[in-house]
Amino acid sequence: MASTACFMIVSRNDIPIYEAEVGAAVKEEAAHQHQFILHAALDIVQDLAWTTSAMFLKAVDRFNDLVVSVYVTAGHTRLMLLHDSRNDDGIKSFFQEVHELYIKILLNPLYIPGSRITSSCFDTKVRALARKYL
Amino acid sequence: MVDPVNTPLGRMLLDEITPVVMVLRTNLVEETCQKNGLSLIQMLSPFCAFDNIDVPVRTASDQPYRLQKFKLRLFYASDIRQPDVEVAKERVKEVITHAGEENFSNLCSDPPQIETVLTTSQSELIPSWFPFFNKELVRTVSFSDHEAFDHPVACLLVVSSKDEEPINRFVDLFNSDQLPSLLSDGAMDPKILKYYLLLHDNQDGTSEKTTKFLTEMRSTFGSNDCGLLCVNSSQDGLVEHQENPWALYRTESSPNHRLGCFLNIDDMDELQNVMQDLSSKHIIPHMEQKIRVLNQQVSATRRGFRNQIKNLWWRKGKEDTPDTQNGPMYTFSSIESQIRVLGDYAFMLRDYELALSNYRLLSTDYKIDKVWKRYAGVQEMMGLTYFMLDQSSKDAEYCMENAFNTYLAQKANILSVMNGLDEQEVEGGLCEEDVKLGSSGQRIATRCGLWWVEMLKTRDQFKEAATVYFRISGEEPLHSAVMLEQASYCYLFAKPPMLRKYGFHLVLSGDLYKKCDQMKHAIRTYRGALTVFKGTKWSHIRDHVHFHIGKWYAFLGMFDVAINHILEVLACGHQSKTTQELFLRDFFQIVQKTGKTFEVSMLQLPVIDIPSLKVVFEDHRTYASSEAVGVKESLWRSLEEDIMPSLPTIRSNWLEPRAKLLSKKLKESNVCVAGEAIKVEIGFKNPLQIPISISSVSLICEHSARSDEIEVDPNSTTTENQNDDQFRKLATSGECSSEMSSFTVSEVDISLGGGETLLAQLTVTPRLEGTLKIVGVRWKLSGSVAGFFDFNSDLVKKKVAKKRRKTTQPTTDNLEFLVIKTLPKLEGCIRHLPKTVYAGDLRHLDLVLRNPFETSVKSIKMKINHPRFLSIGNQEVMDMEFPACLEKMNSAESDARVKTNSTSDTVFLFPEDALIHGETPFVWPLWLRAATHGNISLYITIYYEMGDTSTVMRYRVLRMHYNLEVLPSLDLSFQISHCPSRLQEFLVRMDVVNRTSSKSFQVHQLSSVGNKWEISLLQPIDSIFPSELLLAGQALSCFFKLKNGRNSVIDKDEDSSISTLEGSDIRLSCSSNEPLFDIYRSPLVDFHHYERVHQGTAQVDYFLAISFENPNTVDFILISRPQRSEGDSEQPNNLFSHHALLRIQAQYGG
Repeated sequence: MASTACFMIVSRNDIPIYEAEVGAAVKEEAAHQHQFILHAALDIVQDLAWTTSAMFLKAVDRFNDLVVSVYVTAGHTRLMLLHDSRNDDGIKSFFQEVHELYIKILLNPLYIPGSRITSSCFDTKVRALARKYL
Repeated sequence: MVDPVNTPLGRMLLDEITPVVMVLRTNLVEETCQKNGLSLIQMLSPFCAFDNIDVPVRTASDQPYRLQKFKLRLFYASDIRQPDVEVAKERVKEVITHAGEENFSNLCSDPPQIETVLTTSQSELIPSWFPFFNKELVRTVSFSDHEAFDHPVACLLVVSSKDEEPINRFVDLFNSDQLPSLLSDGAMDPKILKYYLLLHDNQDGTSEKTTKFLTEMRSTFGSNDCGLLCVNSSQDGLVEHQENPWALYRTESSPNHRLGCFLNIDDMDELQNVMQDLSSKHIIPHMEQKIRVLNQQVSATRRGFRNQIKNLWWRKGKEDTPDTQNGPMYTFSSIESQIRVLGDYAFMLRDYELALSNYRLLSTDYKIDKVWKRYAGVQEMMGLTYFMLDQSSKDAEYCMENAFNTYLAQKANILSVMNGLDEQEVEGGLCEEDVKLGSSGQRIATRCGLWWVEMLKTRDQFKEAATVYFRISGEEPLHSAVMLEQASYCYLFAKPPMLRKYGFHLVLSGDLYKKCDQMKHAIRTYRGALTVFKGTKWSHIRDHVHFHIGKWYAFLGMFDVAINHILEVLACGHQSKTTQELFLRDFFQIVQKTGKTFEVSMLQLPVIDIPSLKVVFEDHRTYASSEAVGVKESLWRSLEEDIMPSLPTIRSNWLEPRAKLLSKKLKESNVCVAGEAIKVEIGFKNPLQIPISISSVSLICEHSARSDEIEVDPNSTTTENQNDDQFRKLATSGECSSEMSSFTVSEVDISLGGGETLLAQLTVTPRLEGTLKIVGVRWKLSGSVAGFFDFNSDLVKKKVAKKRRKTTQPTTDNLEFLVIKTLPKLEGCIRHLPKTVYAGDLRHLDLVLRNPFETSVKSIKMKINHPRFLSIGNQEVMDMEFPACLEKMNSAESDARVKTNSTSDTVFLFPEDALIHGETPFVWPLWLRAATHGNISLYITIYYEMGDTSTVMRYRVLRMHYNLEVLPSLDLSFQISHCPSRLQEFLVRMDVVNRTSSKSFQVHQLSSVGNKWEISLLQPIDSIFPSELLLAGQALSCFFKLKNGRNSVIDKDEDSSISTLEGSDIRLSCSSNEPLFDIYRSPLVDFHHYERVHQGTAQVDYFLAISFENPNTVDFILISRPQRSEGDSEQPNNLFSHHALLRIQAQYGG
């Protein structure tokens, strides 16, 4: 498992709707740095997303030794992962499964698309997936 | 694409990569120049740049071309060496600090909008000191031995005419030891072009001696290489220069010193001529000549197939020789150095083709030799040459990247070598040397990177340029900060603009500035970042930026701005506890430093829970307790239907002449009475995990004296700003408003634990008639920060958000009250009402009404929702003792019980003469009987009219609400069967079970209601129930004989009372001295009546019609008393009555 990994779902309006520090070493003071890096990576994603039909964009941006991998859903919701390990296959599987979970969240009639995901069940599952794949 | 020469990089290269002239001079020369406040070089420099020199040059292959732009760089011999890193650093730091001070003035304002930033031109946005800074940075690596363009092309020797024996001085100057190491250590050819200049000060009189010296010089050094320069022709030193060419050298210390004050127009002409002569007649031809010579040499040894083969073989053989640390040393005579010089000279004379071919040749050599620094230097020049040739941009970038990476790799190599050495034996000197080399590698890489960036910028590749800037930023935090800031601007200018990257790099840069104590720069960058991050939903980003910029502003003593920023982050529920503590602590520290209580209109701590806002006020409806307030209005309405005057009557009653005006207003707005408090309940939520304390919570209200004045439409065209100002004024003037005494507000202190939400009860009591508007709430956080919350603004916002809702009533009306004159108001309570009782409990209670006002109230009516539980007694009961008053009297009093309860079942009218006023309480008896177990809500409403009919409000209602928990006690069941032998007699079996957990009961008497039944025990009570007490959980069964006594009643009509009395009650207690209770007395009879009504409605319909005397029914009342324990003296004297309504199966067709 990667020592640093920050997972975030960003709505199409660029608002974070879910965030989780899924790395082995969770450092509180790095939280803002992770947000900064992921936020800045959106600039790259916005160009890159239209150049390919694949949802998984691989590593789009890096900051020092931290890499940002992005998965863009059809609704232009972006699943972003900041990590320091090179495990493309694992990350891809992680994204695909989280995408499925996200779709299930969307199917909930009480969930307004683009609002914050507060489901604790979703959170637990995402963390389990992170342990499995990252 | 534009001509590369006119691009920023092109201009920079033409400026920086130009021939260097080494200047040697005597002290007297310098003295002469200092009269003008200038050094020799400063005096000459403005005349070293030529825009139109127009010198014919021929390339190595004899192609003629003309050189237009040309520039010389002059340096004193002592300065021709690698500059001291520390000094350079200091200078750069000074530049930055200075720039920070200059630009700080406009930083206090709000950051500009992002749209304006995007439309601002590059030159306006980028701080003007960046190019200057970059130039300084580039200069720190000049005079390196691995490249030749910084090596002096010529030497200018200057001797004053005042010097003794000038010829000898000239010789001495060049032979002294002060020559730069480049010359002495063999890196460059010591046979350098020399030019001898004799400086004459015209103030020193005639030039005869000077002329003599000149001829002497000419004969010694050759006539071409000598020159005369006469300066200081102005005698008075008052020459004013329109465009002072030396303005650049104006120093801070003496801004008034007139530079060049002794130099008149003739002197300037002469300076110009001398320098032009030096350039065009000496330096350029010399360089041209040298190019030619070197080119021939290079061609002879290196060009051609044969030479290449030879070179390859020769190079291979060379690998065996041990390398020094810096790779093989190349002296000026080595062919590599000569190629390099050839390339650089060609570059400086703008013969780029020749330069490029030589660089290419050289780069392969260096690569084979593995001298990476030189290799990188050549690659760098190749990149620049490609750029100047405006050929393939790919090649240029490739070369630059290659050079950049090689420089950096070289640094990394050295560092790794050093680390290796650290573990083994360390020779101090060597190590230090290596560190120097490492950092110089970084610095050269920086220069290379800066050129590369300019190249990319020229081609509009801003994104790539930003990446390069980011890579330049190395260990030196201050330099990195500037580089990162430049990177951020590149992101801004990229197409499309990458704003998030812009913000991020500004923040990174700001952090580094902070690290170097460049607070003002840090603020400047963060302020720029705020334009991007303002209002962002990325909570950590927002917190970080606002918190830090706030802290820095505070550091500079700008507390107002600081607090505004820190306020943004106060409600940081998503942060960890420690962060929250940090934020809060810093915030309070800053507030403390300001030394005053700070007032903030939208303080986010605590969060005001607007949906919880509840306003309780009393118009004609008044409430006895807060529980009564919580009851639904519809419930009260239904209860009050009978006693209130119907709606149209209200109107006609109220519509008195004066009130007519008010009527409309009354209908529309809330009415409250002066002197009566309006209660406002509002939730305060603490979003943090740490406790906060809030004090002086109170309402902000607005009172205007008369209602007519506020006929202005509340939705009139007041702009929001004005509203805000008004609100602020109100909020701040809150303290003095109580003195005006038009209303008083209460103050509450609360402390909120982590994540806690508390409802604060606030009141405002209007004192005068008029209109009172509750505007907002005010509080103090930790006693130092005053917060305000405007209810209005938030409600309005919400309304806008929910447009689909049709405009029903303006929400603001909820908080606006019409205050009317003080009215009497009844206060009431029920005395002795227990919270918990056992079923069947019969008690005497007192209703106490009080009217604190002198004006009396009249026509009091009362209604109770559960007459089965609570009934209204007679006033005479007041004085009697309970339960003695229920005991059976002699027949003389028996008419008392005949008193009918013919008054309306539901509404009780108090006697007409009951006027309540003053301090004397009005007490009225009430009976409570817990009919069934369960939780019972009792609603009591009391209607009263004002004694003074002139008031706007004619009547009011007092609403009381109590909750009663009734526990099960005795369970009573009867079984009636026909007596087998007699027609008119029945056998009754009574089962009593004590359902309580601890209470014991004493069964007292069983009575049958009505006078047609006679009941008697089958066995004496002693035999079946000797203990008298029915303990908890115990059951009792006993049998009775029931006889239809109708006939006998008719028989003994004259003294019926006695016979029925005896026949219908059975004493069940053993002690016969205790009197029996009269079940025909109020309240027993009343409760029985309600019990019948209740059962009737609950059972089959036709039971309703059954009268009291229905032959098929029999009603029993079991009266018991609780066992009185010794210590329990408080226990009131109460009875328990259990009522059972039975229907006898009419077996015989009865």
